[in-house]
Amino acid sequence: MAPRQHTSWKSKRIAAALVAGAVALLVAACGGSSGGSSSSAGASSGAAAAGSTSITLWHGYAAASAGEEPSAEYDSLKAQVDAFMKANPNIKVTMTYVNSDDALQKLTVALQGGKAPDVTYQYGTNVPQLATSSSVVDLTDRVADADYNWNDFPAGERDVFTIDGKVYGVPALVDNLAVVYNKDLFAAKGLKEPGPDWNWDELVADAKALTDPGQNQFGLEWPIDGSETEVWKYIAMLWEAGGDILTPDGKKAAFDSASGVTSLQALQELGKAKALYLNSAPDSPKASQLFNAGKIGMFVTGPWNLSEFPNAKYGVQVMPMFPSGSHDTIAGPDAWVVLDNGPQRVDAAWKLAQFLSSPDQVLADSLATGHLPTRSSVGNMPGFSAFATKFPGIDVFAQNLVNVKKARPPIAAYPQISQLIGNAVTSVVLGKADPQQALDDAAQQADTLLAAG
Amino acid sequence: MGRRLQRAVHSEHVAGWAFAGPAMLLIGLFGVVPIVWSFVLSFQKTNLLAPARPFVGLDNYHRLADDPLFRDSVHHTIVYTLLFVPLSVIGALLIAVALNRPLRFIRLYRTAVFVPVVASTIATSIIFLQLFDPNFGLVNWLLGEVGLGPYGFLQDPDQALYSIVILTVWGWIGFDVIIFLAALQGIPHELIEAAKIDGASSFTAFRRVVVPLLGPATLFLVVWSTINALQLFDEVYFLTKGGPLFSTYVVVYYVFDLAFQKGLAGYAAAVAYTLFAAILVLTMIQLGIGRRMVHYSS
Repeated sequence: MAPRQHTSWKSKRIAAALVAGAVALLVAACGGSSGGSSSSAGASSGAAAAGSTSITLWHGYAAASAGEEPSAEYDSLKAQVDAFMKANPNIKVTMTYVNSDDALQKLTVALQGGKAPDVTYQYGTNVPQLATSSSVVDLTDRVADADYNWNDFPAGERDVFTIDGKVYGVPALVDNLAVVYNKDLFAAKGLKEPGPDWNWDELVADAKALTDPGQNQFGLEWPIDGSETEVWKYIAMLWEAGGDILTPDGKKAAFDSASGVTSLQALQELGKAKALYLNSAPDSPKASQLFNAGKIGMFVTGPWNLSEFPNAKYGVQVMPMFPSGSHDTIAGPDAWVVLDNGPQRVDAAWKLAQFLSSPDQVLADSLATGHLPTRSSVGNMPGFSAFATKFPGIDVFAQNLVNVKKARPPIAAYPQISQLIGNAVTSVVLGKADPQQALDDAAQQADTLLAAG
Repeated sequence: MGRRLQRAVHSEHVAGWAFAGPAMLLIGLFGVVPIVWSFVLSFQKTNLLAPARPFVGLDNYHRLADDPLFRDSVHHTIVYTLLFVPLSVIGALLIAVALNRPLRFIRLYRTAVFVPVVASTIATSIIFLQLFDPNFGLVNWLLGEVGLGPYGFLQDPDQALYSIVILTVWGWIGFDVIIFLAALQGIPHELIEAAKIDGASSFTAFRRVVVPLLGPATLFLVVWSTINALQLFDEVYFLTKGGPLFSTYVVVYYVFDLAFQKGLAGYAAAVAYTLFAAILVLTMIQLGIGRRMVHYSS
């Protein structure tokens, strides 16, 4: 759910006019009877040689163009797919790049046109919406196969893809949040570097000490666009204070609890002290550049960011805890989702998804790219020790997976609830509202929404 | 197979339809069909994925009435349009007049004014993100040099929308300038000379002769800029995602948010149709007023 790689927006205002013309025009492409260009990938699948099956894989890693740095992520996936085809000579896999940010929209369009891929990469938060489609394959029985060892994936991953007891995806990638801090800035202010037992009081005190308006230096980065990038950071804090988003039955909001207020008060204090770098565009590389340039002391972020800090001497520490809480973090697991293009292709597609999420492939991908291993067992495999040397601090993220204890509620209304929370958090950070009041207002609206179904 | 058929095939009707056919087919397929479909959609409850699409009558439209976010989006869209249209049209007129003179390097200046229009919106947005950075941006530094600011720009809920006005006016003014320049060069010189011989000052000649003759171009630009402004999306999507605190939520961004982030495509279609109706009415009013005020011949 986070910006993992810079997306290439090339739209112009004219394109926006299309959006405006209504959902209409996009739905037009959905009409698909006309053969929308976005789904041409599926079309080639029909031309399989007798006895063999052709399937299409949508993935989110752009291959490097000529003259660019090679893309480790793409190369690793390509190698895995090649290995799969070698092991299964009767299955031909066509890889198609689809920007992950657009994958849900593109898939919606492709499904309308009946030209869906067989396997697609999707953000975990897309899964509840996808589960409403009859074309998305229910994998419950398949993952139950003992050989697959489904429980090897941590609950924080499995739960995201399990909607009403049914499994609609297998983990493709997982990351989590931790605090990346600038060692030089800590040293310059004579501060002790964060330890694994640290708490939010210490983070707040450090952030204030690191703030230096004269130098345009800030203690902590915080997004203020109300997007999921902001909200999931807050949710981690909520869990660190012992709270949760919804009540256990999922029928009411629970984030307006004392834990919710405690965690938001920490942000309020940082906001008041002007210790936050208020990031209005967290999808842009700006904050990473500022951290890299030593202008931001601490950055709550994930492993994908580490490669963007070549100039900063940084350390990584798990999230701080609140009194009576723990060092909880949040995972943003992404999924391989299988689509129904007839039983033969579903079987082939599942074989591919199964292969890509098998321990050997997870290990190979982690070593090649620095992706955290999606399976717990991979951490104990021989050869995994090389992983810690990919980037300084990456091992902290890998170990941090045990701190993933909860998942965001896998319900279709989540994006709306997220927006309400985002608004509450931003209003407090900007000093426009009081934590209790902001959370109460948001909870009340969330309750109405949940009651409406 | 008789002469009648032969004659029909050779008639101008058939040739005409044959020429117009492909374009009509495309417009029908990609224009009319989706417009109708989206209208149907606006009466359904759907996320575009689930196979069941129950009809809910006018529910989606009723829902608009007490949706605070829709109300805010409309409010922001109106404020934006009321600023964007006059600023870009009047600004462009002044620039066009300044550029309609035999200066050295005039082509360079004209090109410079037009460059932002050609540049990708996202690229210009990234530039403004840097310029408008409250702490590290060039704009606050320059303003600080003359004792103003610092401003929060895109970070401040009270300034974000105005910041977007500034950067979109900058981004689109070149288009208006080119239209005005073309119109200015179509104005016969004799008319201005005649006015001056009659004793008009340069300014009076401009106000009484040039501006009225720019009427058709002005009308076009006002209508076009209004439609453009009501459809603001890219900059909001990239720069603020409607934030901070919904302060830059505009109608088209809201449509996108509803349909593709919240899975409420039916409701999004209702919002889109409401916008469509508003644009239609507004454009008709503008053209109606224009017909009375604009003179098409000199």
